[in-house]
Amino acid sequence: MCRQLFLAAVAAICTIAGAACGSNTTSNATTAGASRSGIPRGGELLVSVRSEPRSFNRHAARDTTTSLVSNLTQSRLVRVNQATQAVEPLLAESWTTEDQGRQLTLSLRRDVVFSDGHPFTADDVLFAFESVYDEKTGSVLADSLQEGGKKLQVSATDPYTVVVTFPAAFAPGIRLLDSLPILPRHKLEGALKAGTFRKAWSLDTQPAEIVGLGPFLLSEYQPGQRLVFTRNPKYFAKAPDGGALPYLDRVVAEIIPDQSAELLRLESGQLDMMTSEISPEAYAPLKRAADEGRVKLLDLGVSRNADAFWFNLKPGAFGEDPRAGWLQRDELRRAISMAVDRKLFADTVFFGAGVPVYGPETPANKIWYWPGLPQTPHDAAAAKQLLASIGLSDRNNDGMLEDAQNRPARFTLLTQKGRPNLERGAAVIRDELKKIGLTVDVAALDAGAVIDQLLHAKYEALYFNADKSDLDPGTNPDFWFSFGSAHMWNLEEKAPVTDWEKKIDELMARQIATLDEAKRKTIYNDVQKIFYEHQPIVYFVAPRIYVAHSSRVMNLTPSEYRPQLFWRPETVAVVH
Amino acid sequence: MIRYFARRLAFALVLVIGVSSATLMLTRLAPGDFITESLGTGASQQTIAQQRARYGLDKSIGAQYRDWIAGAARLDLGYSMQYGRPVRDLIPERAANTAILAITALLFATLIGLPLGVITGSRRGGAMAGAIRAASLVLLSMPPLLTSLFLVFLAARTGWLPISGMRSATVPAGGALIDLLRHLVVPAAAIALPLAAMLERLQAQAMSEVIRAPFVLATLARGVPQSRVLWRGALKAALRPVAGVYGLVIGSLLSGSFAVEVITAWPGLGSLMLQALRTRDIYLVAGCAGAGALFLACGTLVSDVALAAVDPRVSEMRTERA
Repeated sequence: MCRQLFLAAVAAICTIAGAACGSNTTSNATTAGASRSGIPRGGELLVSVRSEPRSFNRHAARDTTTSLVSNLTQSRLVRVNQATQAVEPLLAESWTTEDQGRQLTLSLRRDVVFSDGHPFTADDVLFAFESVYDEKTGSVLADSLQEGGKKLQVSATDPYTVVVTFPAAFAPGIRLLDSLPILPRHKLEGALKAGTFRKAWSLDTQPAEIVGLGPFLLSEYQPGQRLVFTRNPKYFAKAPDGGALPYLDRVVAEIIPDQSAELLRLESGQLDMMTSEISPEAYAPLKRAADEGRVKLLDLGVSRNADAFWFNLKPGAFGEDPRAGWLQRDELRRAISMAVDRKLFADTVFFGAGVPVYGPETPANKIWYWPGLPQTPHDAAAAKQLLASIGLSDRNNDGMLEDAQNRPARFTLLTQKGRPNLERGAAVIRDELKKIGLTVDVAALDAGAVIDQLLHAKYEALYFNADKSDLDPGTNPDFWFSFGSAHMWNLEEKAPVTDWEKKIDELMARQIATLDEAKRKTIYNDVQKIFYEHQPIVYFVAPRIYVAHSSRVMNLTPSEYRPQLFWRPETVAVVH
Repeated sequence: MIRYFARRLAFALVLVIGVSSATLMLTRLAPGDFITESLGTGASQQTIAQQRARYGLDKSIGAQYRDWIAGAARLDLGYSMQYGRPVRDLIPERAANTAILAITALLFATLIGLPLGVITGSRRGGAMAGAIRAASLVLLSMPPLLTSLFLVFLAARTGWLPISGMRSATVPAGGALIDLLRHLVVPAAAIALPLAAMLERLQAQAMSEVIRAPFVLATLARGVPQSRVLWRGALKAALRPVAGVYGLVIGSLLSGSFAVEVITAWPGLGSLMLQALRTRDIYLVAGCAGAGALFLACGTLVSDVALAAVDPRVSEMRTERA
């Protein structure tokens, strides 16, 4: 029996080892060749995603994998060039603005067909707007396609002309259309009428059922493993040399939940690129791999978003808590901004790969960043003086501050668990504030729980991400206006609570309605100044963004915004 | 005997209902939900309220549980919020992947651990026994997370094996089975190695006691060759403690190994449950937990059957009790 057991074990090991040492090649059916510009055609690109898509319908989910599926298989009227921030034509080949920015007239391409051969017309654009505003659908895109809480009016004057009317003059107007995928009316109208549009194109839909205008077609979905896309031979856009796009034959998006495995696959050549930036911890091993020529490491510059620290400024949020007298004071936030050493913050949280930030925009926003904004000095003594001015001083000589009733100056800082940058950042804030006598208790919760506390205003202070969706401040009204749902420190105010918020509301309303870009810039500088003076959100450091890809990937247009290397998938090529 | 199995089945049912109900309640009670997690910051209160109503998250916890348990009685475990698919469809496909991994790992661990345990348990000294013992202790002290990371690193460095996933995007020349086997090596080894070490230690301990038992000494005194005594009579008697834990091991393996499945991107039950927990997909969490409890109950049953097979006294005792 023993001998048989041993023989079975040896046989099993040999089978596996034999399999392991066997061929590691995959057979790629390609339309190999090269374009006239020398960019290779065909081949397969292996990218990674961290999680499965939640739907194949962009209206049903907003996670990054669903967005990737949408970007690959669907197209939009226009696209914001993530590298230059200019708006470039896609399905709309040109547009004009009338009525002082209230009305956009878009001319659609005439040579476009869906992947199933059905012609694309203005009717499909109208359908896209009908779906996004359909109440039964409850599209996740609905909020981003409104202006001042009102829907856009859309009509078609002929099969290739669409008129979009904004409720009021809206300078960034056309940029909003970047977020709307144009879906086929002939495939989905039935679902919309039946009130089941949101469930259409769910994950159990056969890939062949999914029709689009994007550069790729979803050809296979293996739950928990991968998504496979093949080139759409009917894709409308052409390469600069007039050749067909996309360059690639296939894109395989491997679902790899763990970043360590993702990096190892990239280093060992089993992956071409990740669809997100690399974490600060991963920089050193990837730098070694880059030095050895195994990968290419790109420094994309400073991120356009910095993690944010803010207090709950909702009036009455602290009830009878005696700390309410100082927790919501401007002086406290300004003192905190002064007390935290931003260089130390960058060194500890981002291992040196970060730049100090003092206002709502980082230097990555080349158009709207204002270099003239004052820079808060690191000055612990001045911070203590500011705290003393609101009644916080060391009354019992224990080195820590107390309020007028001798109660310790202490608050809880909530942050997200499992995000090393946030956890390290919260720890630095705690340690830096301890030096000026403030006691901070850091509590880390899951993202959903943190957001729940934020929505119910059940927190004292938060260190979290308050990312803006676009570089143009006019497209982020939810952040700037006091009634906004992303007005983090006090969500959806009925009326501006403070004079400075009222002033920001007025300025932003003017900024959005002004078509002159120089005037818009001047007004936004004023907004940033008010923001800096009151610091409803304190920013410390914006990280540098690094991405890596295999050396066979080419013709990339990197941007610091996700997916950094893959926002224009039709132009990416591989050497094969 | 039938009564005994009926009792075990009832116990399994209670365990599954209890575990999945408790998981559902706890996940629901924790702050935040699928909507806050999936919409992130910036969604309006109106949108959030609409979405909550859509998924029934605006109902009280009691009403939600009542609806769920009524559905579960009809084998309808609810809809996964993130996948938009019935939970009862999602679990079997992932459980099958976990089963492939678990059975392979168990097979490896048994084929390696038991014979090595017999060797170390039957020899008092010697370099070989010492080396096996030391290797077992090292493997036992390494958590599966570390073992998987090490093996993934090794696979990446050598390039011999795929680092993650279950199948290649394109079926290689060797065919789908070879492709699956190649993908199995890293995750199965990550689970099997510590398990083999545990089985080796258990088997060695049992074997060292059995070889001093009077029936073994008597058999040897009658002139039966030592290897025959060792691998036939003594091994069967020494299998009792191993059989005792075997069922539990099967149950826990079939419930999915979170660490190994996540690191090696194995699309099993463990990674599904982790994703469900992260997104607060309450019905899917409850379904996965229920499936895990079911596997555990089945595992203990297997364990009992195995114990009865190697020790007739156990089955006699149970028949008497029943």
